[in-house]
Amino acid sequence: MTVGVEMCTKNINIPDSRDTVEMFIFDSAGKELFADVVQKYWDDPSLVMVVFDVTNEMSFKACDKWLGRVMSKNPHISCPGVLVGNKTDLEGRRVISEQTARQFAEANSLEYFECSASKMKNVEQPFYFLANAYHKLYKEKLEVMKSLA
Amino acid sequence: MKMPESGSLASEGAKVVLATSCDENHPPENIIDGRSETFWVSTGLFPQEFIISFPSPKTISTLHLDCYNVKRFLIERSTDTDPVDFKPLQDEKDLPVTDNQLMKEEVRVSNVQANHLRVSILSGHDHFVSIHRLHING
Ligand SMILES: Nc1nc2c(ncn2[C@@H]2O[C@H](COP(=O)(O)OP(=O)(O)O)[C@@H](O)[C@H]2O)c(=O)[nH]1
Ligand SMILES: [Mg+2]
Repeated sequence: MTVGVEMCTKNINIPDSRDTVEMFIFDSAGKELFADVVQKYWDDPSLVMVVFDVTNEMSFKACDKWLGRVMSKNPHISCPGVLVGNKTDLEGRRVISEQTARQFAEANSLEYFECSASKMKNVEQPFYFLANAYHKLYKEKLEVMKSLA
Repeated sequence: MKMPESGSLASEGAKVVLATSCDENHPPENIIDGRSETFWVSTGLFPQEFIISFPSPKTISTLHLDCYNVKRFLIERSTDTDPVDFKPLQDEKDLPVTDNQLMKEEVRVSNVQANHLRVSILSGHDHFVSIHRLHING
């Protein structure tokens, strides 16, 4: 279980370009006990990934609260975000359907992904999505900057 | 790369000796080439900073900064031979949002000397900010 915040980096090469998006990831604990501590690391977020456990209703219900906490850090700048349902390998114990999760994601402008971290299935996809979304934003902003003088 | 404009900091021998972002298509030299069309872009995260070193002590009375989406920033100077011991030229300042328009900020100081200038961008109005031109009147 993650305690407080674990910092790590991940580099993702963007297809059809020579660019790499270097992610500085603040893997933050979802336990309420650490809520104050983890949010100290969240100044100016660029991207958001909210992960829940598809076998745990409480975990899914808490996503709204955590998403609100990240987005309130910088309400004027929108961040590409993903919702990730984890533990898809535990089929018999699943309590949150894909449809339920997808609805919540759509309502909050998040892209939805499902994965099994223990089976290493689909884990990379949400990272690729975020890196590409950030790169796209960068390219769009460059066009604005080029038109300014 | 095009030659710097005459009268620009680059044409006087100034150099950008440090920048925290580097997109090879928009290098930090674009800040001091005297042109507003060319720019240096931050590639993500804050704070960002760059340091300009002058070939000889430079007198500053007015500093012009053309930029986009910079929110909070700080300008400091150093009178050391090395770029160390920076002291603020003014307090940290907030710039407003300018949609699709360059922000042209003017900073007036009372004829101070500097061997090096450090500009820190502490936050932005967006994920990415650009600095198009820095010009100094002595
Ligand atoms: N079955 C299964 N268990 C998982 C999966 N991912 C994590 N776990 C288990 O869930 C627990 C908490 O995992 P961890 O990654 O530390 O959760 P964190 O607190 O959110 O960082 C551990 O016991 C993991 O083995 C998964 O995809 N499938
Ligand atoms: Mg963890």
